[in-house]
Amino acid sequence: MRLPIVVLLMVLSGVAAAPPSETAYHDGIRELSARNWDRALELFEVALQAEPDNIRYGSEYRQAALLRAKTLHGREGKPEDFDRTLKFFEQLTAKSPGAANAYLNQGFAYVDKIPAAGAITQVILANTALGHFTKSVQLRPSWIGYYTRGVSYLFWPKIFGRAKLGVEDLKTALKIQQEGPRKPYYSRTWVALGDGYWKTDDLDMARAAWTEGLKEFPDCKPLEERLAKQGDDLKSLIEDALDPNKRVDTNLKDLWVTP
Amino acid sequence: MKTSIGIAAAGVLAVAAVVGADSQMVDRWFTDVTRQAGIRHRHTNRIFDNPYAKIMAGYTALGASVAVADFDRDGFDDFFLTDSSETGKNRLYRNQHNFTFTDVGEQAGVANGNDPANASAAALWLDFNNDGWPDLLVLRFGCNQLFQNLGNGRFRDVTREAGLDRYLNSITATAFDYDHDGYVDLLIGAYFQPVNLFKPDTPRFFPESFETAKNGGGVVLYRNNGAGVFTDVTAKAGLKQSGWTLSVGHGDADNDGWDDLYVACDFGTDRFFHNERNGTFKDITERAIGIDTKKGMNVDWGDFDNDGLLDIYVTNITDDYMREGNFLWRNNGDLTFSDVARETGAYDTGWGWGAKFFDYDNDGWLDLYVLNGWVSAGKESYVPDIFAMITKPDIDLSDARNWPAMGNKSLSGYQKKRLFHNNQGQIFRDEARRHGMDSQLDGRGVGVADFDNDGRLDVIVSNANGEPILYRNTMPPGAHWIEFLLEGGKSNRAAVGAQIRVTAGGQKRLGFVNGGGSFAGQSSARVHFGLGNAAAIDAVEVRWPSGLVETYRGLEVNRLHCLHEGAQKKKS
Repeated sequence: MRLPIVVLLMVLSGVAAAPPSETAYHDGIRELSARNWDRALELFEVALQAEPDNIRYGSEYRQAALLRAKTLHGREGKPEDFDRTLKFFEQLTAKSPGAANAYLNQGFAYVDKIPAAGAITQVILANTALGHFTKSVQLRPSWIGYYTRGVSYLFWPKIFGRAKLGVEDLKTALKIQQEGPRKPYYSRTWVALGDGYWKTDDLDMARAAWTEGLKEFPDCKPLEERLAKQGDDLKSLIEDALDPNKRVDTNLKDLWVTP
Repeated sequence: MKTSIGIAAAGVLAVAAVVGADSQMVDRWFTDVTRQAGIRHRHTNRIFDNPYAKIMAGYTALGASVAVADFDRDGFDDFFLTDSSETGKNRLYRNQHNFTFTDVGEQAGVANGNDPANASAAALWLDFNNDGWPDLLVLRFGCNQLFQNLGNGRFRDVTREAGLDRYLNSITATAFDYDHDGYVDLLIGAYFQPVNLFKPDTPRFFPESFETAKNGGGVVLYRNNGAGVFTDVTAKAGLKQSGWTLSVGHGDADNDGWDDLYVACDFGTDRFFHNERNGTFKDITERAIGIDTKKGMNVDWGDFDNDGLLDIYVTNITDDYMREGNFLWRNNGDLTFSDVARETGAYDTGWGWGAKFFDYDNDGWLDLYVLNGWVSAGKESYVPDIFAMITKPDIDLSDARNWPAMGNKSLSGYQKKRLFHNNQGQIFRDEARRHGMDSQLDGRGVGVADFDNDGRLDVIVSNANGEPILYRNTMPPGAHWIEFLLEGGKSNRAAVGAQIRVTAGGQKRLGFVNGGGSFAGQSSARVHFGLGNAAAIDAVEVRWPSGLVETYRGLEVNRLHCLHEGAQKKKS
């Protein structure tokens, strides 16, 4: 009797076994909890090599690198802490040129490095990130692609005239989100769109966007805050939100944990 | 024993008449008196004549400097201003004791600092031969000039015999006695490496990186042998480095009696060197301040929070396109510093240049005046050009040919200067507009001195491609002050490095004799303390560079006191 049960278990396990990428991913999460940084990163890389377009794997991989940097070197980490992920995504997108989400995460990997870099390198990193976001959008137009690139444009100083490009992207993101089921994180598009209008000196349109957004998302604090402020107070609120020296939360978990 | 130059404050404080009845004017404590004071000087940037001239024009808007000293020892501070144009004259403005000044540069023999092979960049007063007369070092892109003060209103060029006849693209210097042998030594900071900027034999003399460049001129430490000869001891002293130095400052960070060094570098990491008390320094940058990638422009040491430890203010570049922020390094007392610029409000001053701690309102707390602005020209901005360059992959930044010409474009121009009032060591509030000191010229160097000996510190500012501004302090009377001029015996005669601790009204304040080093600006050799309401001094402790500590009691407030090393001991 024992043999058939073992065989049965083997068959069942074969049927129900997670794909190797998912196993690697979960092992990576486990290693991360144990603070085995290098092992965790390795496992995430295995998962991503198997599924380059998996946005979740890419996001968790970057978050792991970020956590490692902060833990080992404090504050924002050292610039070189982020070189592993940059190199990995470079190889990944070269091998999988059609993986839109790999490009998206590659762009975010550059964004992750920005606070640890010098002021000039920040610009170079931000510019490179934009290039990868663009590639992602070209490969697969998506809400997250347009939203991400749109917001990225807003971080640029006015003199570069990129805020208007951001507004266009955010309008496209808005259009995409309005065509599908409502997600709580879609409120961010309204916030950013208003910020984009503000940055292009169109305060009326900014307030209109925030107002419209608040109608759709009445509990959205950032929208409330913006509508409650004026003049210098509003300026400092938006400048603070778009301060390139402050770490941007690039964790994409809302995409898969939000109903 | 003390010698008091009797300059009672009451007799000379005639404020109301100066500022008039207008309440706004009464509220304004500084008056631009440049013209009335007889200052007729305009700095002009050097225009180079070489294949890279158009590119260099954007990066050599330098050389407007001011250096203060009482060169004729008449009890009134004078000042030296530099020009950089090929035919431009440097000027030595002699104080006429009535807040007017006369240019005596030509008669003194110090006016000719520019020629086709040299451009004046800055100046430093130092008494290198301990004769009591401030000598003058003119720093140049090219070869420096050392002028010995003959004590009769004339100077003699002793560059060659002093061993300083060497090609360096110098931009800053400080003179202090690093080895305590009783003579000030010379630390020179060079911006470009020693290529001939007038006829470069290579196009690769620009910074190789915006954040980690190591192909600059570094620093050179010259040891003074006491007989008028300087010897390069940079490597031996452990100071060899190759950053793009813009400012050097000495101060005793750990109160061990030996001055340490802060070297501010453009395009890369500032350096902190601890004086090991054996003729060498140890680079403790990583421990003391960490590794930065900013554009260090100016260093100034001062105890801004009155905790008995010297802190350091460093300007960097802060603009929409480059948000570096300044450093205000609060001294932790263990040879480490914490940057508190952001929380104290001294973080953003635009494209920073010279900055100086000084107590302009005599309330006992060091305020800050900060200059800024790179090139104020046409309406078009140079920022997109520079970023188009840096985002090109694999670009060789050291090659001047890869840099875009600036033409008539502006870069961080028309910026307002900041006069930060220090609110009890907690927060700095900008009062520049209120006091009429928010000029938008391209400021470079600050010189602070009490030019009329009235106990209120005045300010002179040098501006690139522009005229200097002389601000007279006309603050209403009331706050008390005390000022010191120190003369070393065993220590170097100018007493550079001496620390003074004044106790009054239950407060202790720390000052020191500064041998210069701020970018493009040197202030008075006197050490000034605001005392606020304290009308009496409890004690004054002087720690001389020799190690001797002397305590003075019963010194009168509202006076300048000349203190001589060892005289107190003899008396007692």
